Amino acid sequence: MPTDPRPVARRSHVSRRDFLKRTGWGAVGTIPLIAGVSRRRASAQPASPYPDWMPPSPKPPKRGKLITRASAWDPPVLDPRLTNSVGLSQFASLTSNRLVRYPFSDEAASTTDLTLKGDLAESWQGSPDFRVWTFKLRKGVKWQNVAPINGRELVAADIKYCYEQYAKEGVQAFTFQEIEGMETPDKYTVRIHLKTPNTMFAQNLAEPVSIIFAREVLEEDGDLKKRMIGTGPYVIKEHTRKVRLVLARNPDYFDQGRPYVDEYHILSTPDAATRLAAFRSGQSDILFVASVGDAAIVKKTTPAAVIQEYKTVQTVFGLALAQDKPPYSDVRVRRAISMAIDRQKQVDTLYGGHGILGWGIPYFYFQDKMPTAAQLGPYWQYKPAEAKKLLAEAGHPNGFETTLFYYEYFPEMSSQVQLVQQDLKRNLNIEIKISKLDYTTFYGRYADGKWDGMAWGFKTGYATGLDEQTYQYMHSKSTKNYWRFSDPVIDELVTKLRQTPDRAEQRVLTKKVLDREHDQVTRMWMPYDAGFLVWQPYLRNTGSLALRRNDGYGASTLARLWIDK
Amino acid sequence: MYKYIARRVALSLPVLVLSSLIVFGLMRVMPGDALTALMGESGNVSPKELQKLRKDLGLDLPYYKQYLIWAWQMVSLNPGDSIFTNEPISVALKKSIPVTLELAVLALILGLVIAIPIGVLSATRQDTSSDYAGRVAAITGLSMPDFWLGTLVITFAAIWFRWIPPLGYASLWDNPWTNLQQFLLPAAVLGFRLSAATMRMTRSTLLEVLREDYVRTAWAKGLGERIIIYKHALKNAMIPVITLVGGQFGTLLAGTVIVETIFALPGMGRLTVEAILFRDYPIVQTNVMLVAVTLVTLNLLVDLTYAWLDPRIRYQ
Repeated sequence: MPTDPRPVARRSHVSRRDFLKRTGWGAVGTIPLIAGVSRRRASAQPASPYPDWMPPSPKPPKRGKLITRASAWDPPVLDPRLTNSVGLSQFASLTSNRLVRYPFSDEAASTTDLTLKGDLAESWQGSPDFRVWTFKLRKGVKWQNVAPINGRELVAADIKYCYEQYAKEGVQAFTFQEIEGMETPDKYTVRIHLKTPNTMFAQNLAEPVSIIFAREVLEEDGDLKKRMIGTGPYVIKEHTRKVRLVLARNPDYFDQGRPYVDEYHILSTPDAATRLAAFRSGQSDILFVASVGDAAIVKKTTPAAVIQEYKTVQTVFGLALAQDKPPYSDVRVRRAISMAIDRQKQVDTLYGGHGILGWGIPYFYFQDKMPTAAQLGPYWQYKPAEAKKLLAEAGHPNGFETTLFYYEYFPEMSSQVQLVQQDLKRNLNIEIKISKLDYTTFYGRYADGKWDGMAWGFKTGYATGLDEQTYQYMHSKSTKNYWRFSDPVIDELVTKLRQTPDRAEQRVLTKKVLDREHDQVTRMWMPYDAGFLVWQPYLRNTGSLALRRNDGYGASTLARLWIDK
Repeated sequence: MYKYIARRVALSLPVLVLSSLIVFGLMRVMPGDALTALMGESGNVSPKELQKLRKDLGLDLPYYKQYLIWAWQMVSLNPGDSIFTNEPISVALKKSIPVTLELAVLALILGLVIAIPIGVLSATRQDTSSDYAGRVAAITGLSMPDFWLGTLVITFAAIWFRWIPPLGYASLWDNPWTNLQQFLLPAAVLGFRLSAATMRMTRSTLLEVLREDYVRTAWAKGLGERIIIYKHALKNAMIPVITLVGGQFGTLLAGTVIVETIFALPGMGRLTVEAILFRDYPIVQTNVMLVAVTLVTLNLLVDLTYAWLDPRIRYQ
């Protein structure tokens, strides 16, 4: 199963329930549209009745028992070199470790706390020019006691080997090809030399997709598709594709006393209605729902359920334009389109008033609070008259015809696409022919980058670090720049950003990147709501952190979860 | 009769070849391939690397060569490996066929057990309240799509009884009780639609047969109602019903795709849908061919059953 661009949202196929739900949303959404009534909100993200932070339990943790989760995702393969899939990450960061990691929910000061912590590394340091990074490993870390490794000690050579393999082939190659060379002066030290300075290199190693795998498995099997052996808190006890994955507590885990829960069962459940039913019947302990309305439905039938609003800090979807050719190469056309779209209407009708207007870099990287509508700049405002004037200036007074293709990552997306179509027809006389595609067709066409017209674009969902969010997604030379923009100012800013160690300066630069992006409308972000996590009431330490939903890419934090019953 | 069977088998070969060409062609016409789905997701796989992988998997060969290789694999009963997981397809099928087979057979049994008695009752008590009730139930069954009924069943079971079938899959031989819990509801959902069509057909054909001269003769002879209906009328009325059920088996197999997804059963339906989405050509092609062979065989069996039901039928 491929990567879900939403942080860990459903990328399920259109289920029956989705269809019914969408029809329902469509009907509900149509009423205010027909009536011409739109609830205007001052803030970009109104409060929901659910907290966005679940503090850790003050009680002493209890050991034992098992948790179960009905999961939408199946891992396509177990090889982390070949996939960024959330299907793999939902358990890979429990079976395996990284050199460094972001805080777990019981360590974090807030949902947006991104202070790096040691995982396999005890300490780490960048050289003054940030071209050499030295990591000191924990001593006595053992691989899981499974053949062919049988619990041998993890050493620096394992890290070197692993990163070399990532650089050689697969989806992580771009990140690891930044490495010029590695040395292991002793068993517990890895020194990494980069081709260019990068103050944020350690963050890239903390991404959930940078796990350390066992060299013996790769050497024996030729790939990592069938076995995953790591150093993490859980060992794979059983894996039956499309049925279940059973993780059992690793008794040799270096963080002694943890994890608390003996077993974690992930049950393959592709249908959203079945996942909800599994939660209601107690067969599943964890549930994700996409909207505040869905959360209310769960609460009605399961009043004891604990619900956390998964903090929406960015958008991962938007309107992508073939901006390397006319008419979208003209910034006036892009600005006109952006101003002709009523984003607030999308928030109100599709997300029940709960959602953000849309920006593409997590806000805490450039300011403390969620940006207001005004802070997003003039071209993010709904100004149809100005938009029309601008399009006429660009030589299209009568609009034009174009195409848009998309894959429905979640039901609201289809309605969103149709609202954009209506806005652009009504305000600019732009006629859009929409094609809804299956995932592989969509992805193939989108990533190929040779399409014309418009696409409903995305950026991949696993990224946490600032370097990944800026340089790797936005630089014109990057292979992750799906949006087909090449802006020398942005190139310069993101390059400078990764060479800037000071946090305050980073924030200033990041804001400049965002402002430039919004001024040039390089990525036309659209409204978004990250959703809600629902837990059975007896679970403790369940808090999900921004960009790290703990049923997906942030699964490693489940090592701190415990059952209070 | 043997000649007839041999002729039918020979005639089914072009059908199978045509099916194989259609499925092979359709999969190639669809844009994207397995590597796009698997590797391309982060956009950082070089075209050179993708080209190498395509070569390794034989996806760069001309289509006719790919077809011949696959056809030979099918004939030699070795369908190859999944492009996506590298797992031998025979292993994947070994896991998924029993699931779908059990679901389809159970649905068939449930469907027939419900449909035939109600159909008989409706026909023999024509225009009474039980007839109306049976007909309403049949129309309801025909009107409700599997996905809707399945979703309703699982949702309301969870809300009212705080119970749904255990998620996952337990083999019938290893854990019959759990297996029964897992299969009964999905089979009932799947069987309900089948039972609706079968019930209507049973009713109408039985009504027709009951008006035949030989039935009137049987009544005139003073035979009992049970003997007339079950021994003389029903057997003859079953010929079109059997044809219908044979034809409906294909629909039943198609229905398993939805029902397996809703009830999270790891059968052929889910395997095929996932394979289509990820362009796992060998799995899709093999599964479609298996379904084609099953339907051809089933139609042959249906034809052969006619002679047992009606001794006047001769195969030439």
